[in-house]
Amino acid sequence: MSPTKVYTSLMDTLFDMRDKVTVLISGVNSGSMPSGLINALKDCNAKELTLVYSADVGGRGEAYRVIDSLVELGMVSRVISPMPFVLGEESAVRKAWESGDIEIDIQPMGILSERLRSGGAGIGGVFLPTSLGTRFEENKEKRLIEGKEYVFERPLNADFALIKAQKSDTLGNLTYKGFGRNWGPVMAMASSVCIAEVDEICELGELDPEKVITQGIFVNRVVRAES
Amino acid sequence: MALNKLTVNEIVGRTLREFHSGQTIVLGTGIPEQLAVLSDPAAGFQFISENGVNGYISGSDGTDDFGLLNSTNGTVLGCPGSSVVSTEELAAMLRGGHVDFAVVEPSQIDINGSFTHWTTDKSNGIFAPGSALDLTHGCKRTIAIMPHQNSQGDSNIVQKCDGMVDGVSSVSMIVTDIAVLTVSDDGLKLDEVAPGWSVEDVRAMTGAPLMINENVKEIEFSQLAESIKSKVCESGLDAVRDIVDGSAVMIDGFAGPGGMAHYLLVALRDHGAKELTIISNTAGIARVVNFGTPPGRLAIDHSILIENNQVRKAIASYPVSPSASRPSAFEIAYKQGDVELELVPQGTLAERLRAGGAGIGAFYTPTGAGTRIGEGKDSKIIDGKEFLLETGIRADYALIRGYKADTLGNVIYKGTSRNFNSVMAPAANITIVEVDEIVEPGELDPESIVTPGIYVNRVVKRPEDFSGYE
Repeated sequence: MSPTKVYTSLMDTLFDMRDKVTVLISGVNSGSMPSGLINALKDCNAKELTLVYSADVGGRGEAYRVIDSLVELGMVSRVISPMPFVLGEESAVRKAWESGDIEIDIQPMGILSERLRSGGAGIGGVFLPTSLGTRFEENKEKRLIEGKEYVFERPLNADFALIKAQKSDTLGNLTYKGFGRNWGPVMAMASSVCIAEVDEICELGELDPEKVITQGIFVNRVVRAES
Repeated sequence: MALNKLTVNEIVGRTLREFHSGQTIVLGTGIPEQLAVLSDPAAGFQFISENGVNGYISGSDGTDDFGLLNSTNGTVLGCPGSSVVSTEELAAMLRGGHVDFAVVEPSQIDINGSFTHWTTDKSNGIFAPGSALDLTHGCKRTIAIMPHQNSQGDSNIVQKCDGMVDGVSSVSMIVTDIAVLTVSDDGLKLDEVAPGWSVEDVRAMTGAPLMINENVKEIEFSQLAESIKSKVCESGLDAVRDIVDGSAVMIDGFAGPGGMAHYLLVALRDHGAKELTIISNTAGIARVVNFGTPPGRLAIDHSILIENNQVRKAIASYPVSPSASRPSAFEIAYKQGDVELELVPQGTLAERLRAGGAGIGAFYTPTGAGTRIGEGKDSKIIDGKEFLLETGIRADYALIRGYKADTLGNVIYKGTSRNFNSVMAPAANITIVEVDEIVEPGELDPESIVTPGIYVNRVVKRPEDFSGYE
């Protein structure tokens, strides 16, 4: 028998959640975020969390209210995001930032995703052109490579990734659906413990190997989404 | 009489006239998304959403069956030939210069083409660029489409942006509801005005100096008719005909026959371009190693180019035969001093190719530190561990072996033949794919496409009677 990575309860997958860890959260809206896992996170006894996620311009709904409630519960000390809340809308993240209760570290999308990939791939950092001329180049090493200027970006690793996928087998091989692929694959790579909330768990061999997007090697725990 | 400003549909109509069949356009949030709604699907443009869908038409059938979102998370439908990628792949695609146009709706733009995207009064000082930097950095051209003035009647076109900028000197063209402007080193030039508007009317509403095109004309909105361009070439020779002497060519094939573009290799030999730099895992060892080669025959690999004196240099990780008594063509040429070699460890080679395709100048890797590979390279101690600085690799051409492709160049692979092919495809200026089968757009599952057509320039079918052995 192969060892299984399947858990039956959302809460059980978070048994080792603790203070001062970094948690990656995939997706851009309720359908693509691991809503069950972040809901369960509320019941964990953990403080001073750093959350990494990306709200989107149209990103609204339940998943963001849960992130808001994590902030309102005082569990969060820092947020890293290309867009931490929807501009012009009510947001606990924004309020907490304005009152100095949490720190916000804004990272452009492509820089954040490449920093995560570096972290996941054992790369010590990359030279990207993206931030040149903007405030995102401040305090970073610059280097001319073949006549073109680049800015050094450090890798970003995390203790946990909470991701949403469509299907998993018992070894944690994952497939996604449409936009649900967004941040999941790169966050899975960059975390020490990756927990996937999926719509369907299938037996080994049921997923076409050519269509697996996230290899089970990156995934530690799998749990089915509660409908 | 009050002058009419252009409607959103008219602004979009004018913008669509900039594109040609086969071009790719990434759409920012706001008005730009209307391009996908209003474009004639037969025009052959491919729109890209920042949420990772390549090739979509906007609008919803109400079922959200495909689960795709456009940049403002409205539901979109994949159109035939679309593909799905993840966030870091999309960013790599943009940064790597693979997308022809970005279309954005800035809140303010200045005479140098620098713009502010999301930092508005509403954001209260939080500068949240989302993907704005990525959208504009690598694209060949960025077009800004926006109202000429804001709701308070202030010009959105200014001498210098008030706040922090998302794009630095990146916009080359501005389409507003009253004018079309180009951004040049000398400043802004007014090229077109809305029907009924005079140059002076536009100048009066613009918060920055304008040069006037001497042939300034009225804006037109109607879409230009073009048909969808197929990437399919008639033959291997047609596909490689423009490879000139001295080109750098990526050729995969991990070691054995799997994943090697045999048909294109033979075409390149027949074509005869010389002084080539070949970039591959091996420099051709299948010809001297029995990877299931039928008795009395020889496997086709890079060796055929070396034997034909077409190769000047190889960049490879394993350029020797495992058997000293059966040296490869490359080894023989190397010992004779006929070819140069740059030796790169396999994982570093793959990562350098990825960097080349993804617009990454260089990266630090621990592989090779403390070995001969590290000699002469910059290194850095990170968290107590030594890392080597390695640069990205690009080439003029990649000869790729796929399993199936559609006529737009979307490719799937079969088994381990994927190996270096999928990382080479984005790293070449011209990527040519040899496949067993060419299908119509829509026949490949968008979720299963490994190499999106955006990376592929030419597709050729390997003839059914063609053998990888000679």
